[in-house]
Amino acid sequence: MTTHTIEFPYTRTLGPVIGPFLTGLRDGHVLGVRNRDGRVLVPPLEWDPATGEAIDVDFVEVGPAGTVETWAWVTEPTRKHPLDHPFAFALIRLDGADTALLHAVDAGSMDRMRTGMRVVARWKDERAGHITDLSFVPEEAA
Amino acid sequence: MTPAATEPDDDNSVKMMDYFMQLEYREPLCPVVRRYADQLLEGRLIGHQCPSCGLVYLPPRGYCPICVVETTDADETVLSDRGTVTNYTVVTPVQYYGQHETEPFVRASVTLDGGNATMNLQDLVDVPVDEVRVGMRVAAVWKPKGERSVADISNRSWGSAEGCIDGWRPTGEPDAPAEQFLGKATF
Ligand SMILES: [Zn+2]
Repeated sequence: MTTHTIEFPYTRTLGPVIGPFLTGLRDGHVLGVRNRDGRVLVPPLEWDPATGEAIDVDFVEVGPAGTVETWAWVTEPTRKHPLDHPFAFALIRLDGADTALLHAVDAGSMDRMRTGMRVVARWKDERAGHITDLSFVPEEAA
Repeated sequence: MTPAATEPDDDNSVKMMDYFMQLEYREPLCPVVRRYADQLLEGRLIGHQCPSCGLVYLPPRGYCPICVVETTDADETVLSDRGTVTNYTVVTPVQYYGQHETEPFVRASVTLDGGNATMNLQDLVDVPVDEVRVGMRVAAVWKPKGERSVADISNRSWGSAEGCIDGWRPTGEPDAPAEQFLGKATF
């Protein structure tokens, strides 16, 4: 058996919406944008997914707590997963947001997960400005 | 894809992100390459000699692509670990991602004594880059038996002995005439 690894290193520009979003994460804030109907999209987008219209960039801080809309338990995380022990991937609608953010919930056990549960952001001490700067924990555990 | 650390811009906002796309895959060695790898660990270079045209393939491929005939264990031959530099390239490394070399180095083709079998992309040791020449006589520098590894041998690394041979060292013998190697295709 032989193992091969191919790596393609890219540097991406983040643009006028994801750049500030990740800057916010680095600084400990979750930002969304308001579309023309007044709905708050989190994560923020440059275009409204419903209409394709450009978003007038109007950032709104949301969270840090929210509600789990749906989830899936990851029993055996790989080294590329955000946590090194079993966790849930969940769609989390943060307080103040109208759409859900896909993120990890460190619940300890699948038994503690349920749709509708409250979760809150847990920030890393050292943040680099990307999506893994935070994860979520059940609110009662925070 | 795994996002790596982002780079703050001079106004201290995050504008760029390093992004690594990484593909990792494992493959079993085909039987003839498996046998080649096992023999490397024993300090032997083996090839298959085509029963039709007589060309020797190292590592064995299990076929001769010229004659389109199968080769088997019956066609196996043990090859010399001494040979002649029949071609070489001086590589001046550019520091792209993943390049660990910093100084110019040589990658040579070594045609083994006794036949056509040629190992390509071989490292030469104990010889300055500007002294390398076609016709130079060399001998394999085997790693000690316990330190050999065939982890990097793949089904496509034809001619490779990386992990078992450190490189090829000049023997000091008189050069073989370069003319006999020039303008020839090797296999
Ligand atoms: Zn043949």
